[in-house]
Amino acid sequence: MRGKVIRDVLVKTGNVVTAMTAGLIIGGLIMQAYGYDALHAYYSLLRHALGNPLTDAYPLTSTLSLATPLIFTGLAFAVSVRSGLFNIGVENAVYLGALGMVLASGLLRADTPLVLIIGSLMGLGLSVLFAFVAASLKVFRGVHEVITTIMLNWIAYWLVDYVRVNVFPDPRDPSKTIAVPPSARIPLLIRGTELSASFVIAILASLTTYFILWYTVFGYELRATGINLMAARYAGMKTSRLTIYSFLFSAVLGGLAGVCEITGRPPHYSITTGISNLMGLGFDGIAVSLIGLNHPIAVIPASILIGALNTGVRGMQIEARVPFELVRLVQGVIVVSLALPGLLSTLQKYLGIRRGRREVVVS
Amino acid sequence: MEDTEATGPDECLVSMKSVVKIYPDGTIALRGVDFTLRRGEIHGLLGENGAGKTTLMKILAGVLKPTSGTIYVGGRKVGFSAAADALKLGIGMVHQNLSLIPSFTVYENIVLGLSRRQLLNAKEGINKLMSLTGLKVPLDERVEGLPFGVRQKVEVLKMLFRNVDVLILDEPTTNLTLTETRELFNVINGLRRMGKSVVFITHKLREVLEVADRITVLRRGRVAGEVPRVEASLNLLAQLMVGKDAIPAVSRGVSTVGEELLIVRDLWILSDLGTWAVKGVSLTVRSGEILGIAGVEGNGQKELVEGLTGLRRVEKGEVIFRGQRIDNLPPSELYKLGVAHIPEDRVQVGLIQDFTVNENSILGIQRSMFFRGFLNTLAWDKVVEHASDLITKFNVIVPSLFSPVKYLSGGNQQRLVVAREISKEPQLIIAAQPTRGLDISATEHIRGLLLDLKKRGKVVLLVSSDLEEILQLSDRVAVMYEGRFVGVKDVGELTEDKLGLMLGGVSD
Repeated sequence: MRGKVIRDVLVKTGNVVTAMTAGLIIGGLIMQAYGYDALHAYYSLLRHALGNPLTDAYPLTSTLSLATPLIFTGLAFAVSVRSGLFNIGVENAVYLGALGMVLASGLLRADTPLVLIIGSLMGLGLSVLFAFVAASLKVFRGVHEVITTIMLNWIAYWLVDYVRVNVFPDPRDPSKTIAVPPSARIPLLIRGTELSASFVIAILASLTTYFILWYTVFGYELRATGINLMAARYAGMKTSRLTIYSFLFSAVLGGLAGVCEITGRPPHYSITTGISNLMGLGFDGIAVSLIGLNHPIAVIPASILIGALNTGVRGMQIEARVPFELVRLVQGVIVVSLALPGLLSTLQKYLGIRRGRREVVVS
Repeated sequence: MEDTEATGPDECLVSMKSVVKIYPDGTIALRGVDFTLRRGEIHGLLGENGAGKTTLMKILAGVLKPTSGTIYVGGRKVGFSAAADALKLGIGMVHQNLSLIPSFTVYENIVLGLSRRQLLNAKEGINKLMSLTGLKVPLDERVEGLPFGVRQKVEVLKMLFRNVDVLILDEPTTNLTLTETRELFNVINGLRRMGKSVVFITHKLREVLEVADRITVLRRGRVAGEVPRVEASLNLLAQLMVGKDAIPAVSRGVSTVGEELLIVRDLWILSDLGTWAVKGVSLTVRSGEILGIAGVEGNGQKELVEGLTGLRRVEKGEVIFRGQRIDNLPPSELYKLGVAHIPEDRVQVGLIQDFTVNENSILGIQRSMFFRGFLNTLAWDKVVEHASDLITKFNVIVPSLFSPVKYLSGGNQQRLVVAREISKEPQLIIAAQPTRGLDISATEHIRGLLLDLKKRGKVVLLVSSDLEEILQLSDRVAVMYEGRFVGVKDVGELTEDKLGLMLGGVSD
């Protein structure tokens, strides 16, 4: 039994490595075609993403720090896929989690850890509220979650931007909101880096999610509903209620990404123009979840991989002088090839069921 | 695809010779069937479930490929690789599940797939065809808003517009009202006058006698008889359909029949199409008794089972189990009252294919405190214990308790479902098609388990389209036809032609 699990993990890791290699080769060929030294570029990518941790902690900690929000959003998306939903609302959960912290900082105007507690509660509350809208529309009116969550993403976006411009702008720098007070910030793990204790919280969230999905009846029912709604109903599960819970679960995880991002990342500790420091974290979570095959534990290495890529591409620009546009292109190629195995197996499952149905012959 | 070879008399438009069909999973659907169709003839193809009617016609329509055998159309040997090939030779089939696009209009559906040139004057052509055949449909309305009977007319019109000479209708009256059926028969008679040939697949005896010129009866993949209309009678057809060997002489075991545990009164349930699928069914079952519900599929059995097990709304009527109303209770409540359900569809309903054997072994009983551990968590050691208990007691062969059930064979999947349901220690078990598609040993094993439950004084409601199974296990048999019970009889009173008549909708 144990041997089987290990073999399974090895096979799946092998798939990721193969996909990654393929992505690197394609990306490299593109860079060569444009006349840049691909090997040098990749070398600088690696150096900036990992460096030598013994002498310089900065590269590795940057990687882990960039991975932290992705762990949360990856988990949030994994939970929704496991329960049969394609919940894009993780993106707005991130915005709203951060918004809660800003509101608490602005309203309390006190430098106390209480802001962190009240702010996270407000942030998560807002995320959950938005998710509840999408969930109710899905359950009671049959509106597909992709439609509603995309709309809610934009509502959240402009709501946050309104607060940034009109309610709580930073008096010294109106391009950002006011900052979270120092004593409400999540402490850094290593002084002088960007790595805060929110990385630890992310790991704990991942373990908790794993535990809930596989060691509670709730998780069992959530997964059952996600794979086969008919069978779940047959087994007496309250599938509508489970769908709502799944939305809320995702919203809490997404909201945590927002909270941690704004309380645990120097130097801003605030929401910046156009929500630029939060935008896309939810969507990156989709890629992370697919790379990790929607498994809560596998989401951790997947996030670190993407975090490393995000850190390392800076090196490609600075050292190997690859232009920004090309760097983004190569990065895209690598992410797509990484996500491909997960995407294929998800598609296969879907098509497989369809094909199975078609083969049933009644005479 | 065409080498000429002379065949029989000229009026034989279609002739199929020793057609054999074995499905990839090993099921033998046709065991050498000969079939002929004359020009301008309405040919009834009669048989119960699994007789091979649909398979035979799907082969003629190019949807399926025969394993062996030859087909001649207009005297020429043909081989179809797709339905389009058959359509080119003028053979079109209207399937039981219609294939129209709901959001398209009737007109768009009819001309779907035709070339630009064929579209010229298409509307006039269709209008002309409508007045010629009496098939009136609203061309500009969307299909999704139309009742089933009209949709079927659209399918027929679609085929006729493609100039078919042979029109195959697969159980066309299943979802039709009485008036709609009447109209359909008028249309079919009109087609005969136009010189078209129609194959009418059905299990309904009266209908086939009313409309067909010649009737071929299939039984278990073989031709049981071919009768011209003038020589056919209800009794003869019933006998051919069911066969002499239908009633097995098996000792059912004696059990003491006790009080009435399950009482159903005047139950009404809707189908997915919004028509009545169950029309006022009443039944009672006593403890220590198996009530078999026979019938050709699609006569409301599925909806009846779903209604009784909390998966479909009961619109009218009541279900009383041990003195308590249980209609419209959710499945979780029913389980607590001791109701277990072996669903018809083990692949999609009874099991979660991507879940492991362990996980599937607690499907439906996942909330039982028995599987709870520290801090109310799911105690996997207890689940594993339960699963390994099931597979040893019920002979389920699995690669490992931790492998997904999709890797189990069909028989072992079904054994797992049955094992799980019986392990719930039910007072009432509703078993729908419990042995369909299984090999002999698995079939015998599961039938034995059901008999055992009965001997222990439980109530068994057996719904099956397998007559042998119904007759072997049941104490009393009800035959369902068009949403009603044609009759409830003690199994001893049944003879093959009586049973055949009831299956075909004729009560005595």
